[in-house]
Amino acid sequence: MIEVLHAGLCDLVMDQGRPGWGALGVPVGGAADPAALAAANRLVGNDATAAGLEITLKGPGLRFPLGCVVALAGARFAATRSSGAAIVWGETVVLAAGETLNLEQAETGCRCWLALRGGLAVPPVMGSRSTFLPAGFGGYRGRALRAGDVLASSATAGAVRLLRARVPAIEWDAPLRVVAGPQAGQFDDAGLLAFFAGNYRVEAASDRRGLRLGGPAVTHARAELPSQGVLPGAVQVPPDGRPIVLGWDGPVTGGYPVIAGVIAADMAKLAQLRPGDAVRFATIELERARPLAIEQWEIEELT
Amino acid sequence: MENDTRAPSQSHPAWRWISDRGLRVETGDTTLTRYAALSSLNLPEIEDIIPADGCVFLVFRRGAGLSENVRSALIAPLAGMPATGGTLHEIVVEYGGAAGPDLPALAERAGLDAAAYINSHAAVEYSVAFLGFQPGFPYLHGLSCALHAPRRASPRLRVVAGSVAIGGGYTGIYSASGPGGWQIIGHTTAVMFDPQRDAPALLMPGDRVRFVPR
Repeated sequence: MIEVLHAGLCDLVMDQGRPGWGALGVPVGGAADPAALAAANRLVGNDATAAGLEITLKGPGLRFPLGCVVALAGARFAATRSSGAAIVWGETVVLAAGETLNLEQAETGCRCWLALRGGLAVPPVMGSRSTFLPAGFGGYRGRALRAGDVLASSATAGAVRLLRARVPAIEWDAPLRVVAGPQAGQFDDAGLLAFFAGNYRVEAASDRRGLRLGGPAVTHARAELPSQGVLPGAVQVPPDGRPIVLGWDGPVTGGYPVIAGVIAADMAKLAQLRPGDAVRFATIELERARPLAIEQWEIEELT
Repeated sequence: MENDTRAPSQSHPAWRWISDRGLRVETGDTTLTRYAALSSLNLPEIEDIIPADGCVFLVFRRGAGLSENVRSALIAPLAGMPATGGTLHEIVVEYGGAAGPDLPALAERAGLDAAAYINSHAAVEYSVAFLGFQPGFPYLHGLSCALHAPRRASPRLRVVAGSVAIGGGYTGIYSASGPGGWQIIGHTTAVMFDPQRDAPALLMPGDRVRFVPR
């Protein structure tokens, strides 16, 4: 059980998402780095599919009236707990009854995931407990957490094991790896050069629907196309030439030309970009990208 | 050999990767039949299938590529496949006034008075080409050419759910309130999307729609 003492910038209940509803216009959504949430779940003895919290840029103050076994994965946030004990990322943490956990600013990156033993017991909607903010359903009442909210967790049995995750390294200085998109042929040389040689910056008006990029304008011949399927990571270029990387809650169809698509293996890095961060792109072949996509964090006993 | 850019035909659609997990398959007029055929196979490599405007989009599971199984499914002949769904829905619409602020300008553009414009929009039986933009937002095929109209130059910050709208050659119905660039001609109280319903989307690809002026 969690009581929200004060809310963070955008605390959302998330699990591994709701795949299979694209034909209804519903994106998969779910944790922006599903492998990180899955690892946090395993650290507290949950199934990888249990629901936890996705916390963005500035975290909440939480109280655990009954105590709890929790784990944090993803970006490191400044954090304190009422017992004064350390909070280590990527390890099983046992909180005593009545303890509070205060997550402040993200120190690096943008998002972290909090798993708690049993998982958050919000009702599943269309097969998932993930919040889908654009249409206001799923998660906790279809919205971000607010002060005063009380979230239940499911009961669990079995002994608590103290575990540690080996966190996969993210190469922060490397460009985002992309596959050239279906309409790359519609962009002229100047447009392609601008995109692949350009230095972009994540703009403030970015969220789980899409990351807006400031930088060299990408010129192209046609502004609007028939609506086509898209997925998170697709880089759309609207008529103003400013690229948008579609996020986890972005639309499932789009009518703007797609210049490239961020590969699955680099979506975890996309999840950690914050407004002001620099972004560059580099192409990679499909055959090289695919084996990188299967990512599972290694978990070991804490000794 | 991963990108097949031959001219689309019924037996050999062209396809292109949009990323390591997304494949666009050009399907033209056979989009919904191909969608139904692919969906019925429950291919283990495929996480989701999204029909859209003349193409079907396949989302592959992480690490999966174009297996022989999927390749055969993409080029399998469609002859004999049954047509999808086809339920007829009557949608009651309040046209014009505050419910349809763009109707006067669109009627003038079409060279019609408001009553003739409404008759023209309500005279046709539409078919649901695909859902997109918002959960449950139907792109309806069949709009009379005279009523085609570009999207607004500057999108509205808020369009209410149930707004009946025109965008290019499509007519559609906003399923949730939010920003939107289509031209608004009316409003319906029909609930287009409710995630708690057994069938969350009121209209499914392949369904038919008639608008009934209130």
